[in-house]
Amino acid sequence: MVEFLYREAELLDSNRFGDWLGFLAEDIHYVMPVRTTQFRAKGEGFQDVAFFEENFVSLRTRVKRLETEFAWAETPPSRTRHFITNVLADPGDKAGEFHVRSSFMVTRTRSDQGYQLFTGQRQDVLRRSDAGDFKIVSRRILIDQTVLSGSNLSIFF
Amino acid sequence: MSIAATPNGSGRNAPLNGFTQLSNGEHLEAIVRPQEGLISRRIFADPEVYQMEIDRIFGRGWFFLGHESEIPNPGDLVSRQCGLDPAILVRDDEGVVRAFLNSCRHRGMRVCRTDRENVRFLRCPYHGWAYRNNGELASAGAENHYGEGELKKDELGLIPVAQLGIYRGLIFATWDAEAPTLDEWLGDMKWYLDIIFGRTGEIEFVGVPQIWDVDCAWKFATDNFTDNFHVFWAHQSLVHLGLLPNFVDFASHGHMVTLKNGHILHFVQGAPNDEHTKGLGLPKVMWPRFNDHLKAGQAEIAMKHGYSAGTVWPNFHWLQLTSAADTESVPVGILNVRVEVPISATRTRMYSWFAIDKSAPPEYRKTSYETYVRNFGPSGIFDQDDMENWEDCTVAAVGPAAKRHTLHHKMGLNRKTAAAAEWPGPGTAYPDSYGEMTQRAWYGEWLNRMTTPLNGSNKATTP
Repeated sequence: MVEFLYREAELLDSNRFGDWLGFLAEDIHYVMPVRTTQFRAKGEGFQDVAFFEENFVSLRTRVKRLETEFAWAETPPSRTRHFITNVLADPGDKAGEFHVRSSFMVTRTRSDQGYQLFTGQRQDVLRRSDAGDFKIVSRRILIDQTVLSGSNLSIFF
Repeated sequence: MSIAATPNGSGRNAPLNGFTQLSNGEHLEAIVRPQEGLISRRIFADPEVYQMEIDRIFGRGWFFLGHESEIPNPGDLVSRQCGLDPAILVRDDEGVVRAFLNSCRHRGMRVCRTDRENVRFLRCPYHGWAYRNNGELASAGAENHYGEGELKKDELGLIPVAQLGIYRGLIFATWDAEAPTLDEWLGDMKWYLDIIFGRTGEIEFVGVPQIWDVDCAWKFATDNFTDNFHVFWAHQSLVHLGLLPNFVDFASHGHMVTLKNGHILHFVQGAPNDEHTKGLGLPKVMWPRFNDHLKAGQAEIAMKHGYSAGTVWPNFHWLQLTSAADTESVPVGILNVRVEVPISATRTRMYSWFAIDKSAPPEYRKTSYETYVRNFGPSGIFDQDDMENWEDCTVAAVGPAAKRHTLHHKMGLNRKTAAAAEWPGPGTAYPDSYGEMTQRAWYGEWLNRMTTPLNGSNKATTP
């Protein structure tokens, strides 16, 4: 399972987004809620409004866009590095599914600029197929920042 | 139809005693000549010009704080910026919408340090001064140690904005007591705000804004919002995906309008026979509401167009767009509200809200929201490329050589205005929505504000 997450990170860091789609289930829900600063009693501040609200078709649209060479936000491409740590897995709600939490640190540089930094936790649901490989059924990206310091989100988490 | 009054400063008879002069000896009115379509690159990323903007633009303009639907109940509060100052926008126990500087009267500590709340009191963490949600000081810490006359509590409420105004639920405020009222400031812009924020009854803002920081000079973002002819080029990837038409003129079928005080806007039609881009992209079932809620000319504009953008000068924008969520979906209408606030000469904080008609059917509401997130805001497949452009415009604007040159804003400089029969709305309307008439009008007001003396608006106002 950890190796699966590492292999996924390698695809994202080497601009192999088409291959990355192969790691996603066709019924995937991929979401990054907007976070707000709240007092502890009110929870972690995640809101219904999101930075990403995606299904498989919309993620594939994003990937196709990056492949056009006219997506200026990634043309020329950013360099990203996905550091995935603190992986914890529990049995999921359905047979063959697992709740997998991991911490991420994603660095992004582009052009001659310095680093943009994104950190947070991913809450995934992974499904194991009969063939034994995993697919990502659900990914909830819990970003630490309330105000993103990256100029845009043309990368994946 | 009248020519919008956008003084360019050159007609002023008073020598401004160096007020408009930069340290290299040049005057703002010499290097910013909107009526000729020449805007110096110096004004974008130069710290000296930014320093001048702080008082002249952000110390005395009208700024958008939020929408009434964000604070529906007594005690509801959101933390916002009013110009460059942190502000609290709150509905008090009596239901009155108020806005204050987010700063204790004692030592200046921020009294609200969360993004949204429901409160009856705000207690400053520093010395315990506590304020009611109408701004009154209820108690100060260690009150019994103040001698007689040392603590005049009735004079020590939170510092209110100088004026607050609400139009169509949109809450604006200014720190300038001498500013025209919001009603006067908006003027004919209200007629167009009605179309966007009143076409089917009330609009509501959904949830919180997306907020993110971009390494760009704020005016590069501002300049972009009524720019139609960048769409084909800047968003070329979407043309290749079939999400935008594959001909360069596709967003040129419309009108651009300039208004007094630098307010600007456009309305653009979709392809003929494209039902999706009629009626502002709203579902057909909602179209009859236009006639119930709008005047005839307004309803005609709403019915005919699929796209619109506008700027309440300087930094409030609407984007009314018709777009598809992905390559397998049909286009739907989206209402996006934007504000950009500079953090420095070369860094800007972006705010982006999703808004929708209160009477929208649930299915449309969901689709419109998903389409918004996928197209706009920091992850939007439209917006991403804009930020890239604004950042690289900024990178290329900071050097001493660049600052000696102008940008080119001449498209439509000699454009004839639309005949009265052609455009039913107020202001100066121009046919062909490819043109830089709107940007020139915006820079005209910028120059006007930058060359108008402060008259003490930047001086101490409390003892």
